[in-house]
Amino acid sequence: MDFFMTYIVPVLIVLGISAIFAFILAFLGEKLKVEVDPRIDKVRAHLPGINCGGCGFASCDAYARALIEGKAKVGDCNPTPDDDRAVIAELLHVEALKVQRKVAAVYCAGTMGEASKGIYHGHEDCTSENIIAGGVSFCEQGCLGGGTCVQACNYGALSMDEKRGVPVVDEDVCIACGACTQACPKKLIGLIPVSAKAHVACSCKSGGKQAIEQCTTSCSSCGLCAKNCPVKAIKVEGNLARIDYGKCNGCSLCATKCPRKCIVAREYGTDNRD
Amino acid sequence: MTITILGIIISALITNNIVFSQTLGICPFLGVSKKLKSAAGMGLAVTLVMTVSTLFTWVINKYVLLNLDMGYLRVIVFILVIAGLVQVLDILLKKFLPALYNAFGIYLALITTNCAVLGTAMLFGGDAPADIVTTFVTALFTGLGFLMALAVMAGVRERMETAHIPRFFKGFPIALLAAAIMAMAFFGFSTFSLGG
Repeated sequence: MDFFMTYIVPVLIVLGISAIFAFILAFLGEKLKVEVDPRIDKVRAHLPGINCGGCGFASCDAYARALIEGKAKVGDCNPTPDDDRAVIAELLHVEALKVQRKVAAVYCAGTMGEASKGIYHGHEDCTSENIIAGGVSFCEQGCLGGGTCVQACNYGALSMDEKRGVPVVDEDVCIACGACTQACPKKLIGLIPVSAKAHVACSCKSGGKQAIEQCTTSCSSCGLCAKNCPVKAIKVEGNLARIDYGKCNGCSLCATKCPRKCIVAREYGTDNRD
Repeated sequence: MTITILGIIISALITNNIVFSQTLGICPFLGVSKKLKSAAGMGLAVTLVMTVSTLFTWVINKYVLLNLDMGYLRVIVFILVIAGLVQVLDILLKKFLPALYNAFGIYLALITTNCAVLGTAMLFGGDAPADIVTTFVTALFTGLGFLMALAVMAGVRERMETAHIPRFFKGFPIALLAAAIMAMAFFGFSTFSLGG
């Protein structure tokens, strides 16, 4: 009897309660099933299903639901191949938008080796380092070289250039999910069209003399790029040149005119920042 | 009776506030208090689940566990009941009150592992359980106290977004400081006692 009370009854109680709830849930789940739009599953089938979060929704399922409800656009998902995108657009009865494939690009040419404020001995992580007075790099906006973005990338598209201490993007692998742009505490990674011919590899906002003194490849906000651009695609705002890729015609004249070599000409799949 | 109920309400809401005095449910208190809207959703979901699950666990405790002298089974049984109830509520709300279901959002499912809910259930599922009315009222107002704590914190944090705060304190550190100051304010109520 003791054995029965000590070992069998507790097990029976727990099993009994589990069984009761299991039956209630099974019954309710079948009886009170909420019909969902069958298109959601169809749309979902044509999404990559990697739940990268680049579209701004928690998962591919959530994005598919938002598409059906009209809260998202077909072009919001970067990793979807063009033919799948066309199928989804047909399901939704909207016109398939031709979306330019994007890749991640780093807005810094590397500050490692430049003058630094001190030595950082903490956890090897940019976010941690950034919390302590914005990191030890002399450049407030510069890359800390901790490799947080490399860890954030689930596809192995980023690697650290040890010499310059900045991440390098493998454009064949990058799916432009945007995980690295979120991970970087300095917001140094952005998404640019894969066909872009020039890229500003600097985020320094000091401008002028201070920018020249603290880094060899900083944007000194001289404005030569903006002056020379034939289609007026470059603007110097907040002491920093930025290219509007909607207007850029790909002449890469800015890269040749930049006296600081912070605008770099680029080709698909190459990294010309040296 | 009314005085007792009033005392219970004030005690559950303020003097023994589940977050500030009993330090239960700290995770959602800090995690879901950035926006007033989500804080309200979380608070309401907790209130609902807390009330329903405490009633169920009270019954199971009194008529099953205590009868069989198996108080040690409480934690595992209560967790089972809470988890099952949350799922049942999830299904029922989805079917019959979709608006409320959407207002709760993801928080309803998250409550399964909320320590405030289990804590309240354990509080009334002791060896000498209180009567059912006291249990119901206290559970309800403990939940509302949780809702109030989240709403107050969300209000403070929304203000802090625009305030001038030293760079090192921005974000989470200042939220912890605000929570500490608020908890001290609530500590001031602890000397109050209502007769009856």
